[in-house]
Amino acid sequence: MSIVQILVLTAIALVIGLMRRGRLYGMLTASVVLIYWLQPDIDFLGSNRGFWLASATLALAVAGWFLTAAPETRSWRQNWPAGVAIAGAVLLVDLSRYAGLEHLFGFLTPRPHLTLAFLAGLLLAGLALGYLASRRGWLLGLAGVGILLLFVLIKAPGLMEWFVSKAASRLGVETEGGRIAFSWLGFSYIAFRLLHTFRDRQMGRLPALTLAEYVTYAVFFPAFSAGPIDRAERFVQDVRRPQPLDAEGWLFVGQRFFVGLFKKFVLADVLAFLALNEVFAAQVSKPGWMWMTVYAYAFQIYFDFSGYTDLAIALGRLMGVRLPENFAAPYLKPNLTQFWNAWHMTLTQWFRAYFFNPLTRALRASKRTLLVWLIIFITQVSTMLLIGLWHGIAWNFVLWGLWHGIGLFVQNRWSEWVRPHAGRWADAGWRQKVLYGLGVVLTFHYVALGWVLFVLPVESVPRVFGILLGLAGG
Amino acid sequence: MDNAMLDTLTEYITTKILKQPGRALNPQEPLISGGLIDSFSLVDLALFVEDTFGVHIDDTELNASTFDTLEQLISLIEARR
Repeated sequence: MSIVQILVLTAIALVIGLMRRGRLYGMLTASVVLIYWLQPDIDFLGSNRGFWLASATLALAVAGWFLTAAPETRSWRQNWPAGVAIAGAVLLVDLSRYAGLEHLFGFLTPRPHLTLAFLAGLLLAGLALGYLASRRGWLLGLAGVGILLLFVLIKAPGLMEWFVSKAASRLGVETEGGRIAFSWLGFSYIAFRLLHTFRDRQMGRLPALTLAEYVTYAVFFPAFSAGPIDRAERFVQDVRRPQPLDAEGWLFVGQRFFVGLFKKFVLADVLAFLALNEVFAAQVSKPGWMWMTVYAYAFQIYFDFSGYTDLAIALGRLMGVRLPENFAAPYLKPNLTQFWNAWHMTLTQWFRAYFFNPLTRALRASKRTLLVWLIIFITQVSTMLLIGLWHGIAWNFVLWGLWHGIGLFVQNRWSEWVRPHAGRWADAGWRQKVLYGLGVVLTFHYVALGWVLFVLPVESVPRVFGILLGLAGG
Repeated sequence: MDNAMLDTLTEYITTKILKQPGRALNPQEPLISGGLIDSFSLVDLALFVEDTFGVHIDDTELNASTFDTLEQLISLIEARR
């Protein structure tokens, strides 16, 4: 996101924050328009593809509501204003080209009759889904599997290209499907928000949400492109009872906003010049320099991502929504477990809630008792593997996931062994401080080496590791 | 706060999770954010609470924002009993 985009988003959040009434509809309409505005250009101007990709995001959110809506929030009376706001926002985007604003979006908007057909189709499909979902419980599970399959299709390089080209050749159309995979803005986040609502609805935990609340939750513009992944029940509490912005609130917003801008556009952007990339991986041959690129990458990714989070939190707070924190000084943690309690927290909490905890519970409670260390190994490694794959289906993310999964397992076994032997000794005074400091340094370096796997294609990794560990180059 | 419950939970955590029987545990000490209990032991703690006090703690609630200290865990259990 550019600084201009951030400033526009901030101005919109400010205006909505000043609204005394109808703030939810302000957030909804703005979020829908901004899905289209933020969607990057997929190919040269002259195609509608960006428009339809953004429309697919909106369609997912709307379909998600029809699938999960509780009987008490399904009525027309409650939801027609949201329907009008959503349709109005899409038509506003579509008609922009007739107002000479065709360059506002990174794509050409389609002719209005196509957009109207899309909106009508969405409504009909939604009604059909809602009707079926209220009678057939398995439909939600099927929809969850559908989202996961779509996720795999989007995240596996080449798979989307293959799929689209097959489909296109059947239809006799020429296309470049592969690009879609890299430019469907916000999909990873919206997919995980929807999965959370599907699962919670199945378990009877999802609060009753109106269409306006659900869609705003799914595509809330401050958190749309880079999280955090809030929980629906928490989000809706703030929407129904917005936090008033007092002097302390303004101070908080100002701090997070300027700190976020500084992290993202000064620190991260400067570090980007030095950060490890494929060129440095192939050219740098001195261990000291290679370490510098690794350190620079470690801090660049942290400042970039946590800077975005600061901005999202500040913008949310302007509108009365307290988005959850995503980072808590992760590089100052004394072990890997605590690092993962402090890095991209909303994603790790998601995986704990919907994968790690149910799996651990099932294995612990099963009649065939497995060894404790084996359960820990299975659950830690599989969870981290999935977190790796969430970033993209590629070997480097598999290795990165394994690196952290095995790291967490080893750390767990180590502390399990050391606690009864040296727990009291290590808890005392200065020893605790020294061990803490050593733990921070060790954890940071383990994480930093992990970033090598994260950022580089697998074939570049052996050379970089060789130089970093002084085994090659020099 | 229910002292019997506090004693039961303290004993479970210090002997089974921390493996340091007799270790003092402050009811306000952050267990999750302070790194005393990892995610695996947290599931075990939930199973223990369910078996001992007959109260369900959901998988989505096993995090520091639902409860982080013994005091918070006890009020959660008391509220659900």
